[in-house]
Amino acid sequence: MAGQAGQGNSQGGKARPANRRVAQWTRDYVRLPGIPDEYIGQDGAPREVWTRFFDAFATLTPGDIERRFGTADRHLREAGVSYRAPGETADRIWPLSHLPLLIGEAEWQQLSAGIAQRAQLLELVLSDIYGEGRLVAEGAIPAAAIAGSTEYLRSICGIKPPGGRFLNLYAADVGRGPDGRWWVLGDRTQAPSGAGYALENRLVLSRAFASLYKSMNVERVAPFFEAFRDSLRAGADRDEPRIGLLTPGQFSETYFEHATLARYLGFLLVEGDDLAVSGDRIHIRTVAGLKRLDVLLRRVDSNSLDPLELDASSQLGVPGLIDVLRKNGVVVANMPGSGVMEARALLGFLPSLSRRFFGEDLKMPHIATWWCGQKSAREEVLSRLDEVAIEGAYRRGVSGFPGNGPVLASELSPAERERLKTAINDRGIDFVGQELVRLSTTPVWDQGRITPRPFVLRVFAAATPQGWNIMPGGFCRIADQLDARAVSMGDGARAADVWVVSDKAVSPTTLLPAGDTVRIRRIAGWVPSRAADNLFWLGRYLERAEATLRLVRALATAQRDPIKGTSSVLHSVERIQRLLVTWGATSQATRTQPAKLAAEALQSEEKFGSALSLVRSAQRTATSLRERLSPDAWQVITEMVERLGHEVEDDDGVVSAAELTLQELASFAGLAQENMNRAAGWRFLEMGRRAERAINTVRFARQFAYDEAGGEDLDILLTLVDCQITYRSRYLVGPLLAPVRDLVVLDPYNPRSVAFQVSALNDHIGSLPTLKEGGLIERPHRLAVGLQAMLTTAEATALDTKTLFALEQDLLNLADAIGSHYFPHGPNASRPEKLTGLA
Amino acid sequence: MIYDIRHVTTYSYESPVSFARCSLRLEPKSGSGQQLVSHTVDIRPRPADRTIRQDFFGTLTESVLIETPHRSLRIDSRSRVSVSRSAPGRTAHSRPWESVRDVAFEATSLGPSSPIGYVFASPLVPVQQPVTQYAAASFPPGGGILAGAVDLMHRIRTEFKYDPKATVISTPLNEVFEKRHGVCQDFAHVMIAGLRGLGLPAAYVSGYLRTIPPPGKPRLQGADATHAWVSLWCGEGLGWIGFDPTNDILVENDHIVLAVGRDFSDVSPVDGIIVGSRKQKLAVAVDVLLVE
Repeated sequence: MAGQAGQGNSQGGKARPANRRVAQWTRDYVRLPGIPDEYIGQDGAPREVWTRFFDAFATLTPGDIERRFGTADRHLREAGVSYRAPGETADRIWPLSHLPLLIGEAEWQQLSAGIAQRAQLLELVLSDIYGEGRLVAEGAIPAAAIAGSTEYLRSICGIKPPGGRFLNLYAADVGRGPDGRWWVLGDRTQAPSGAGYALENRLVLSRAFASLYKSMNVERVAPFFEAFRDSLRAGADRDEPRIGLLTPGQFSETYFEHATLARYLGFLLVEGDDLAVSGDRIHIRTVAGLKRLDVLLRRVDSNSLDPLELDASSQLGVPGLIDVLRKNGVVVANMPGSGVMEARALLGFLPSLSRRFFGEDLKMPHIATWWCGQKSAREEVLSRLDEVAIEGAYRRGVSGFPGNGPVLASELSPAERERLKTAINDRGIDFVGQELVRLSTTPVWDQGRITPRPFVLRVFAAATPQGWNIMPGGFCRIADQLDARAVSMGDGARAADVWVVSDKAVSPTTLLPAGDTVRIRRIAGWVPSRAADNLFWLGRYLERAEATLRLVRALATAQRDPIKGTSSVLHSVERIQRLLVTWGATSQATRTQPAKLAAEALQSEEKFGSALSLVRSAQRTATSLRERLSPDAWQVITEMVERLGHEVEDDDGVVSAAELTLQELASFAGLAQENMNRAAGWRFLEMGRRAERAINTVRFARQFAYDEAGGEDLDILLTLVDCQITYRSRYLVGPLLAPVRDLVVLDPYNPRSVAFQVSALNDHIGSLPTLKEGGLIERPHRLAVGLQAMLTTAEATALDTKTLFALEQDLLNLADAIGSHYFPHGPNASRPEKLTGLA
Repeated sequence: MIYDIRHVTTYSYESPVSFARCSLRLEPKSGSGQQLVSHTVDIRPRPADRTIRQDFFGTLTESVLIETPHRSLRIDSRSRVSVSRSAPGRTAHSRPWESVRDVAFEATSLGPSSPIGYVFASPLVPVQQPVTQYAAASFPPGGGILAGAVDLMHRIRTEFKYDPKATVISTPLNEVFEKRHGVCQDFAHVMIAGLRGLGLPAAYVSGYLRTIPPPGKPRLQGADATHAWVSLWCGEGLGWIGFDPTNDILVENDHIVLAVGRDFSDVSPVDGIIVGSRKQKLAVAVDVLLVE
């Protein structure tokens, strides 16, 4: 029944190889018994959109196809498109199915209408149960079906949602049932995830198969995001509102998506710590003080939003947020408490609610569900116990039974089965029975042929003043096994792009706004304190990595030097080793094996100061800055981590790994210098770099330009700070103490000198906004000005080890002062703590 | 009876606290056999802002904002309350517990006094099989709800050890249950968990006990601090009835109700967040004097 395309003789000779390919791919594709399929329709013939797709796809040669798949995979890897499985600490690369899921436009229209109707229904129900409460009072919804949900928030009762609605973003998980219709499997009303991944999947696949994508007339997803963003803006009570995307932080399994969405929509990525209540409003802590935030798109669950009124142990929220909602001071999307509509207990009541509100039936069915809190439904479930799946009425998992999924009575022992029946009889309110449905399969690419796999499609709807806007496409998860019961990421599932295919050409749209509707602005807004903090530390980690790599290179080359053995060089090698030890890059120096030490300092997993550990720290810090770094910059960091993670063979390997990594560090610095907007945090990255370089350079000078330093010591110093050429061009003699000290510490024209770093720091600090009034100079500025004056007026001949040591202490103090002045973890803005104890 | 209540809460901090945002639930409820006569709360340092609102459960909750740097926060609450209520006898006849459960499940209101809000797990009271089984022993099929609750209360009083040092506010319920010790808050939570496991609507009550017992009666446990007990919905006729598992008595005129909720987290008398100090010490002093 498959592979009918290309069987006829009417096609031209040129098309034949393509037809043969389609036939070859689809030859073994068989619809599974009793299960619908996306490629093969109900009538046994391939659906038209898929035939069109495979015909177009077949014009690519097999080599071409594999190459493009490779491109897509590489893009995913390089962009770091990732998710974190629950309980894991490392990010995983998103596995993308190479074939999109195809849906024809006509069918999509129907599906969209069903989703829009459902979204509106849920909005109306929410505003009733948190408002007037007529539905419960009149018996349209049993009180128990709502009260059982932990998402029914009593503190939200009576609050009118600022911005006018509960749901701004709604998602439904859908699948095609045995009757060929699309069915809703579940509602997502809390903080639906997946839209950002859908966007990323689209970017990857449309890039890898650009002409195929164009020829298929695929509906664009960008207008959906545009409409969503505009309607969030419109919900605020001033023009040009500040919008934040509230994330639980980088340990959230979907953190990558939060960063992607924030960057794409132009929102600030914020964590609870970044926000504070002041007056009747929410504010964001920035390096310029508190700035008002108008709209919060949340990816934090309701109960964690406010430790004062909700879960008291939450560290993810903002104390006082609910009270701000009460005072109409911020729009939160979705409104806290919206998650109550995800309860399965409510599913059975939606058809009658639809008739009540709209006077019409639900346009799209959902999976048949019986809530055991009602006698008739309970009896129905108990009488058909083997034909239904038992699920929790309010959340995943069945109370009293292990696991997070449904319970199938047919798989239980007789004793367990009795226990289940007793539990349903005693506390029926906790259970639902759901019809067992086998959902449709879709083709996945498997080494040159296609095979059917079950999937779940998540469809997104954004509330706009013009009604519900449905994203044409969505987030499709495909199971790796044929048993489709639970398709969640982490179970070896992959994602697929979803193409809504039109008969006519579609107009290209991007998120770029039309020129005349936007006021020209040059400052991208002040940097949130936490982002500034992370940028500062990113700069410091990278600079420290550079210093460590220079030491490693010096160590690895010095020990191969032909004059090895003279006491002076050994002495210098010892000094390098001593530095590496104090920096935590290697263990206690063993004079016998400098080669081993160099390798350890380069790539030890355990040592916190090894170059590998430092670039990893940089990567970790960069992770929480994903929305602010260009993909190129992220890629450079990833490459460094990968390079240093590969064990090197020998001394040459050490030197070349160090050198290549140094080049990458230089290219990161170049990217930052050339590509980062000067207003958006670049200054803090620079300040971190400058502060760290100043400190490291003084340390080098103290070790190798001490009062009795010899020629070899000074020679190593010049190499470490990259000043050999400058020195030689300036002085015709070999390295001498005072000239070297002058060049390395005091010379304001040498971009590697301490004085140069301090002068740059001073400029940066001077350009930052001042926080306090009263006319007093702020501490970081005072310290920097003092240091600069000292370095400007000092003479090289007067420098000694003692003054260098004092200088190092002053620089450390300056770095600390910057930290505590601008960043959230300083004493000026410590995180709020709960009052403890039984009062 | 008329009581004068003084409830002083003092937090002492190791280092200065620059900011505090607190919620106070210190105003005793009127209704169900008691009447608030007068009430004042004095707060030092003096707050920058105080606003009162009624929360979902009907408790008057005061939001307090303190912006003066301080090392000690003192909240002095004084109330005069008149109490006049009577409890059914311990052996009084009542409806079978299963029928109370079934009526509760069919509730048509989500309001604070609707039983349906109190049959599910709440933040500090999970519904767990072992606790449900423990409670089930007091509720034979067809048994009266009152008799069952009295028996359960009595078993908790005799089988659990009152030990103020054994638990802190964050001690989870299953630990209290396994080790069979705790304070009034823990006993109330255990009893609530057991009742809810059976599908019975049980609420948490915070309040006070008279400090000096009537002549010839023993001093009650928990009289010098805030107290906690259980309110059980016993069907439409009997309504909500108070059970004090710490003292094994039904709630009558020795108890003064402060607030009612699903568990401690809904009613905690003083709650809040501060900015500034890592170490804090708490002292609570309660005095309940019989005026007449």
